[in-house]
Amino acid sequence: MASVVESEFLLASRRRRRFTRQRLGHAAAPYALLAPAAAVIGVILAYPLYLLVRMSFQKYGLFELIRHKGRSVGTANYAHIFQDAEFWRVVLRTVAFTAVCVSLTMVLGTAIALLLLQLGRVMRVALTTGLVLVWSVPVIVAVDVWRWMVDYEFGVANWTLTKLHIGNFVRHDWFANPWTGFGVFAALIVWGAIPFVAITLYAGLAQVPHELLEAAAIDGARPWAVFREVTVPLLKPIFIILTSLSIIWDFQVFQQIWVMLDARPGSDYYTMAIYAFHQSFQISEYGLGAAIAVVMVLFMFAATLVYLRQMLRAGEVQ
Amino acid sequence: MKVRYLVAALLAAMLAVAASTASGGTSQSHATKIVVWLQNDAQNGWPEAVALANRNFKTQHPDVEVDVQYQSWGTHLTKFDASLAGGDAPDVIELGNTEMTKYMAAGAFKTLSQSAFPNNKTWLQGLKGSCQYNGKLFGVPYYAGARAVIYRKDQYKAAGIKGTPTSLAAFMADGKKLMKKYGKNAGYSAVYFPGKYWYAAMSFVYDYGGQIALRKGGKWKGTLNSPQALTALTQVQTVFKSLTRASRTTDEANPQQSLVFAKGSVGSFIGNGWEWPYALDPKVGNPSLEPVVDAYPMPSHIKGKFMPTFLGGSDLAVPVTTKNQSLAADWIKAFTGTAAESEIAKAGNIANTTKLLAFNASNPKLAPFARAAKYSWFVPTSPNWANVENANVLQNMLVSIATGRASVKAAATSASNQITRILNTGA
Repeated sequence: MASVVESEFLLASRRRRRFTRQRLGHAAAPYALLAPAAAVIGVILAYPLYLLVRMSFQKYGLFELIRHKGRSVGTANYAHIFQDAEFWRVVLRTVAFTAVCVSLTMVLGTAIALLLLQLGRVMRVALTTGLVLVWSVPVIVAVDVWRWMVDYEFGVANWTLTKLHIGNFVRHDWFANPWTGFGVFAALIVWGAIPFVAITLYAGLAQVPHELLEAAAIDGARPWAVFREVTVPLLKPIFIILTSLSIIWDFQVFQQIWVMLDARPGSDYYTMAIYAFHQSFQISEYGLGAAIAVVMVLFMFAATLVYLRQMLRAGEVQ
Repeated sequence: MKVRYLVAALLAAMLAVAASTASGGTSQSHATKIVVWLQNDAQNGWPEAVALANRNFKTQHPDVEVDVQYQSWGTHLTKFDASLAGGDAPDVIELGNTEMTKYMAAGAFKTLSQSAFPNNKTWLQGLKGSCQYNGKLFGVPYYAGARAVIYRKDQYKAAGIKGTPTSLAAFMADGKKLMKKYGKNAGYSAVYFPGKYWYAAMSFVYDYGGQIALRKGGKWKGTLNSPQALTALTQVQTVFKSLTRASRTTDEANPQQSLVFAKGSVGSFIGNGWEWPYALDPKVGNPSLEPVVDAYPMPSHIKGKFMPTFLGGSDLAVPVTTKNQSLAADWIKAFTGTAAESEIAKAGNIANTTKLLAFNASNPKLAPFARAAKYSWFVPTSPNWANVENANVLQNMLVSIATGRASVKAAATSASNQITRILNTGA
């Protein structure tokens, strides 16, 4: 008796094992496929991030840099930056600047996407080409072009504004006043960001079923109402993801300001990324710089988390 | 459904966003090659001196290659820090004399034996001081520079100016005459003086008896808000207001002031000795100005005296990470020997040895700078000074004054407080 039971049990367990192995194979396949990408991300992203976080809890100055060894100081770096009035000014400036740039980018990008939808073939191709060209200009080249346009002495901006009798802009220094200076940066950044938003939204708009729009129009909805009640809800995930991306891009703005101002921006032009770089590479307080960078990452994460959660929820409903 | 694919693609793009930059490393050094970082002034101003040093070094070490990599002032320390962290720092590096202390204090350089280097008994005292820390030598003086007023003789004459000014008041009055004569041209500057030109602005401060900072009882205190400094900065403000149309937010190197001068709409500028020949350089400047350019030491507010000039200069050091210390030292010897230093002096600089001072005095194009160099000032010798420079404290203050965003007093007080804070950090 006992042996029969035993053999049956063995048989069953073997069958089960085979079954499990098969299932395991199926379950593991996606992970196996993801593994190379995960490894790459781990090497180029996770490890440096780990080093950054570790450094943010260390005293890491020039002395430590040369010896490749920091000294642990607990949360002193964070305490220092949170008590630093300059830091909060920089945070406020960065948040405000990001808000302005992202709003302008989204509004203008949407407007251009809608325009693309209405245009005839030739104009649409022309406009799309223009957008793609802007998108394909490397940041540094774009900055140099803009820098010449707003040049103090030879800039075409000053020349045009003077010729149009908008005022005397001869030798007008756009960066003497941080408000006009940031105006130039906002224009540059929005200009560079619009193509991606416009083309992506246009792609999305092209997917909105015609019947829905027609039905809404037949029900007596005006164009604005159709856009708000039909188009926007359908494209909500795209809007959310584009806004999140724009926030991430604009929040960490660095090159534009850095290159335009000859790698020596005045403190009026510090954004968080520049402030972190300044603390690290100019003052040689790498620990402080790392702490600022970590705070910056957390800010961006918090800002985008809201949107990402909404988006995931929207995905579930669909 | 298709919208969803789009979203998925965007999400993937989002993941890629963070991983955007990567820095390329330079080659590591074997005993077959040494890497030298020089500032691009050498590339523009005295390439012959570099070539000479390389030739001399080659005869001594035929199988060792010298890779001279030119750096710019704005970014070379950042790159140096990164190379120290990455373990691929150069074997020889040029540092500005104001930048030395920070690195010497952090132990970034090998100690050097003074007696091994040419002319070591006659090194310029000011430069030698910047190579020493705690009684040890960490660098070799390379060259010094003094600034003088480089001006257009023809314009001075046309504006009715006789001779060159011997007091600051006369300098200002002459500037006004130039503005009256040429100022209708909206781009004209009697004195090209960009807003961030702190070397020139601080000369005013030292002339009036002020200082950037003072050390008392082991503690530093920023003193730009002293009455003397405020008087001086008010004079600088007058230059900004009435004698210059240079940008109030740029510095003397972007654009290169000597090249702005070469364009013709500038009566004078306060420049280094090498900037005179550079303005006439056929490749970048305007050689036709040759007969009408001259220089004189910047006059003091006390009649007959000169305004102290910033004793700028560079030193050469051997980073602690090098594996080729003796080769590095040999290259420095070749580059700071009398032959190469003569070339450097010829280009408009003050050589590192007093032996060559006569050389400058006998050359009419160098004499004004040699005379100006007799009265000089230097930055506070604190390991943290480089951080004051890198934090742009003085530049920010001057921009505030030049643009009128803050009063002289408010701007100077804020700068002084920052200087006090930075200099005492970690002390």
